[in-house]
Amino acid sequence: MHGPAREATPRDAAVVTTDRLQVEDRELLRRLSGGDEEAFRGLFRRYGPSAVALARRISRQPFLAEEIVQEAFLAVWRNPAAYDEGRGSVRSWLMGMVHHRAVDAVRREEAQRRRAEDVAGSSAEEVEDPAEQVIEEVDLPQERRAVRAALGELPEEQRRVIELMYFDGLSQSKIAERLSLPLGTVKSRTLLGMRRLRGALEGLDR
Amino acid sequence: MMDHEVIEELLAARALGGIEPADEAELERGMTAHGPDCAECGRLSAELEEAAGRLAFTLDPSPLPLGMEERLVSAATGASTVVPLARAGERPRRSATAWRAVVGIAAAFVLFAGGWLLRDLTEPGGDDEAAFALEDAEVVTFEGEGGSLAIAYRPGVAGVYIFGSGLAAPPEGRVYEVWMIQEDTPVPGPCLTPRPDGSLFTYVDAELGTTDTMAVTVEPSTCPDAPTGEPILTADLTAV
Repeated sequence: MHGPAREATPRDAAVVTTDRLQVEDRELLRRLSGGDEEAFRGLFRRYGPSAVALARRISRQPFLAEEIVQEAFLAVWRNPAAYDEGRGSVRSWLMGMVHHRAVDAVRREEAQRRRAEDVAGSSAEEVEDPAEQVIEEVDLPQERRAVRAALGELPEEQRRVIELMYFDGLSQSKIAERLSLPLGTVKSRTLLGMRRLRGALEGLDR
Repeated sequence: MMDHEVIEELLAARALGGIEPADEAELERGMTAHGPDCAECGRLSAELEEAAGRLAFTLDPSPLPLGMEERLVSAATGASTVVPLARAGERPRRSATAWRAVVGIAAAFVLFAGGWLLRDLTEPGGDDEAAFALEDAEVVTFEGEGGSLAIAYRPGVAGVYIFGSGLAAPPEGRVYEVWMIQEDTPVPGPCLTPRPDGSLFTYVDAELGTTDTMAVTVEPSTCPDAPTGEPILTADLTAV
């Protein structure tokens, strides 16, 4: 039995788009397992711009960002079987690899503190709050809308902690120091924020 | 045994890259105690990693650096994408007048050659050899960050002067590398290091040929044959 019809929402559009993306991504990975260069190019063209944006945002060094992204994509090329369908979407997995490498690179250079201080002084000018950016894009527009909306729905104090951790590569203790908060508060805001984010993203394709 | 709420809190921090080392060790111990078949642990981990990964898409995508796709594919497949540059022929002699004007812009500087003919134009006797008439040369400035850079050359004639000022020193162990983009393929040029006052002036015995864009990237001091970084300066030669 069917329930009453309802009007389609932007969220529905995002679900449809991401469903399609996920199906295509998994197909690209399947082809990659056979050494298909075109599939590799396809994956890079689809997610390279977002990966570079993420690596640049964290490292703040364009040349280092390219190295990070290249390393992550090469890891996919060498071992596409590392992707586990049961653990989420291809794009999240890919961005996770870029993110981990970027954070590691920043910390390896032992420049995180100075860079973070620079960020504090310039973030308002250089990087807008992602949740508040005007959406005017050519790739993955539905996905971006949905994730930005989800992030934007978080209470400011939770969103701030998540952004400092994810986009600026700060550890929880650094954030506590930066915001003059007890470490326990940072941890609880992280947990609550991520719970809300998961809930908001639930229903989008994985 | 660690309860799932604590595991969730630690997994959230790990997914965002902000977990403290001590907490990570504690998480490992907790997860180990629950065992690899703990369905709730697996669910929490997957969902939090998924949510964190999606955050990347809140950023506006960045334009890909010139040639990055080819460099990546080359690195993956082991192929080379570098096209050898046709080396220049004889360089015509010019009057010294204009050359002296250029010398006034930036003092000469000995640069790493890497197979390129580079000359220190302030060397004694360098005047005659480097007498290079720039009065009828095209001057194209680079755009980007990191200082002012320009080239002077005559289309179809071998010989390019590169001069700049206010150039930041590249990071330790790195140099600036000049590229000539020909049909989307970056052809390597000289590797450069500005002098301490940020100025730079050199001559490259090359013919730009079909080059439509020139670019400068920051590279390892080994001067790779293909760019590994994004251009910090670019010059459009198509209007010349």
